[in-house]
Amino acid sequence: MRSPFAYISRPRPLQLASPGAAVTYLGSLIVVAFLFSNPIVLLAVGLALVIAGRLAAAHAAVRAALWMGFTLALLIVVVNALVVGRGETVLARLGEWPLFGQVDVTLEAIVAGLVLGLRAAVVMVGFAVYSACVDPDRVLRALRPIAGRSALTASLVSRLVPVAAADAARLRDASRLRGPGAAPVGRAALARRLLAGSLDRAVDVAATLELRGYSLDAPRAENRRSRSRYDRRFYVIGLAVLAIAIAGKAFGAGAFGEYPATEIGAGVATLVVAAAVALSGLAPWRRRPRSARSALSDRRTASQSLPAGPRI
Amino acid sequence: MQFASATRPAPALSIDGLTYAYPEAATAALRDVSLNLPPGEFALLAGRSASGKSTLLRAACGLVPHFHGGEIEGRIEVAGIDAIAAGPGELAAVVGYVAQDPETQVVSTTVSAEIELPLEMRGDPSASRARAVEEVALALAIPHLLDRAVDTLSGGELQRVALAAALVTRPRLVLLDEPTSQLDPVAGDELIWLLRRLNEEWGVTVLLAEHRLERCLAAADRVIAMASGSVAFDGSPGSFLTWAQRADSALETPAAKLFSLAGIDPLPTGVRDARRTLASTAAVDGGEADPLRTIFPFSAPTSRRQQPHAPPKKAREEGVRLPSITAVRAKDLWVELIQRETPRDVLRGIDLTINGGERVALMGRNGAGKSTLLRTLAGLTDAVRGKIELPGDIGLLTQNPGDYLVRERVGDELLGEEGQAALKIVGMAHAVETDPRDLSGGERQRLALAIALAGRMDGDTLPGLVALDEPTRGMDRARKDDLVALIDELASRGAGLVIATHDVEFAAAFAQRVVLLGNGVVIADGPAPEVLSGGWYFATEVARVLDLPGVITPEQGAEALRRQPGGAP
Repeated sequence: MRSPFAYISRPRPLQLASPGAAVTYLGSLIVVAFLFSNPIVLLAVGLALVIAGRLAAAHAAVRAALWMGFTLALLIVVVNALVVGRGETVLARLGEWPLFGQVDVTLEAIVAGLVLGLRAAVVMVGFAVYSACVDPDRVLRALRPIAGRSALTASLVSRLVPVAAADAARLRDASRLRGPGAAPVGRAALARRLLAGSLDRAVDVAATLELRGYSLDAPRAENRRSRSRYDRRFYVIGLAVLAIAIAGKAFGAGAFGEYPATEIGAGVATLVVAAAVALSGLAPWRRRPRSARSALSDRRTASQSLPAGPRI
Repeated sequence: MQFASATRPAPALSIDGLTYAYPEAATAALRDVSLNLPPGEFALLAGRSASGKSTLLRAACGLVPHFHGGEIEGRIEVAGIDAIAAGPGELAAVVGYVAQDPETQVVSTTVSAEIELPLEMRGDPSASRARAVEEVALALAIPHLLDRAVDTLSGGELQRVALAAALVTRPRLVLLDEPTSQLDPVAGDELIWLLRRLNEEWGVTVLLAEHRLERCLAAADRVIAMASGSVAFDGSPGSFLTWAQRADSALETPAAKLFSLAGIDPLPTGVRDARRTLASTAAVDGGEADPLRTIFPFSAPTSRRQQPHAPPKKAREEGVRLPSITAVRAKDLWVELIQRETPRDVLRGIDLTINGGERVALMGRNGAGKSTLLRTLAGLTDAVRGKIELPGDIGLLTQNPGDYLVRERVGDELLGEEGQAALKIVGMAHAVETDPRDLSGGERQRLALAIALAGRMDGDTLPGLVALDEPTRGMDRARKDDLVALIDELASRGAGLVIATHDVEFAAAFAQRVVLLGNGVVIADGPAPEVLSGGWYFATEVARVLDLPGVITPEQGAEALRRQPGGAP
């Protein structure tokens, strides 16, 4: 079964864009998520990434990342609430706990945990969209002249991950198919067997890379698909988002204070930054081809000009 | 000098006195091998398992010794390049290599990137890369796959992509190591004739290692047979068959065995060859307009009742005789799987009953639903509709027996009396102290089967169902014969056997009944002689030669030839 985060080639702007353009766009949103702790801005970044992912048809990746992100966020909220006792609004005093000491659950610690969790979830969605929409082959080939060994290692790993996942699924099936009289197999034995098998697989994949001439010190080949007509859009929007975020920060947007009392800035500057970031999620929007639109409008015009006939 | 080299190109492959041993190996894998492949030749590399075929191919592409290490002596040149001095990277320009397992032969995410990779590595400009990818995709009939992700491809598609990546640099020599072992008969035949077409049109030299010789002998110009790391035979396909008849009957093709048993000469290299020989024999004897019809006036019967040489009633009864104990009964079975992000009905209303002691071959194209049916019967996959009745138990051996072996001692895999009983039933009781990694391929398969069956026996009997999924991948004929004997043994102890296989000759050897699946539906279900003689792809070589209802094995064919008017010698 395929991972929901696996790259799938689709004729969508984000997938067609060059790795540089896609990384600039998605990377700028991730940077904003680290620049601001204001939940309004973080929610805007999350919204932008979800919209971008859905416009790029990476539904499964977005869904899986949201599920994993919110699970992680919940964990962070609980841990933060138990570990951090700062804050003016004490909701519960849970007494002395081993290791934790005096545990006071405060509203501020919960909100701070929510912000941390939200940031983690947003970053996960960002990487999920990147993983599902940016062709790893193109990224690795772009990297090869800069860092050959790293690119080779990354190539091996990127190929071995799905192969190992398939091997693990087969080993699990085989362990379920063992007869009741066979020695049972624990997880540790399965993991050892998977590791040993993966090493064999790695050797096979490495041999294939060798046969494809990966070790040759050949001149860098120009990339046939280095540019797409969407590149400029992603570069412009990515850099614009970064510029707006930095300018907004300079003008005091996104103010946020956790302790001793929660303060969430919701001024005009914050709202402008959040709106701009959220709108940037529309960057992967694909316009319908002009011929299709004109054909549609022609049909509409034709249907409007039809002579009135008997109504059925 | 230039003129001389233009008129006399270097051999595609030249090997002289090659001896090689893998690191820490007790014996040499190749011993004093010498051979020359001129440009444009299509050579078949035959031999039993572990005879040195794969090692020879790996030496020809530079993986031996550069990748595997070990000790090597002698000389090996590919298109004039010293393969021992140059590495596989440098040889990649002149040699393409396609291995048995297509899964580990792809390193990119998409098909187009995979095919383009070798050109990119050597720095070809983008325009020539684009053209080369397009041309090789057209040659291999895969342009529709170019934008697909490699992990969405079937085994056959993946094998073609691996072949495309090997051919895209227009190499002088292509090496293939059992490329059809995971393909159904249709895809396997297509691949062989595609190679022949590329050999004829592109002039590429082909060296193909295969176990199922009947599939590719007719396409070959020459056969090189290996035995214990040495070249045991090197000559034309026709003379190879004569040699195999004398030296190693496991390498005989079914059609050659048919002729040999019937005393007809010369031995045929393929179906067309066999039919021509039979036709010419009949023309000499009778001078009819359609000589095959003279030999077999019944070969196009209007109904089974009119067939004078249909299988005898007793044989047919044996084929359909069903013992009374039901091993499994599936009724209106529907299974849905997600394929390429879309739910698809892989099994559609399957009705199937298998009785104890019955031996059933489950056949069909790649993706027809064979493995899914076995997995559903074993409870690994859930049915969305329908009912499965398993009065006994089920033991399923999947395609990779190695997946069952997780410990370093056979005895640790199978404990207690139940484990010992299972080892005994597969004939492995002697190997309790052995490390599974030291076992041969066939022994590992038997051990895995024992693990699947342990605790499912009732004394010496084996009630229930035993299912095997593609058990003959990469097996030579001698090992297949051993497996047939094991299947007979299990059936004699009361087990119903269902075996998914692409190998029609193996099915003819063990099965009483054949169930043919097509797109998740049972499209044929009947006695093996009937189903395996009623078509072209899912028919044995003998059936394709003789076109006689119910005649599928060389022995049956020889008998029919002896009975025909005028009789075979």
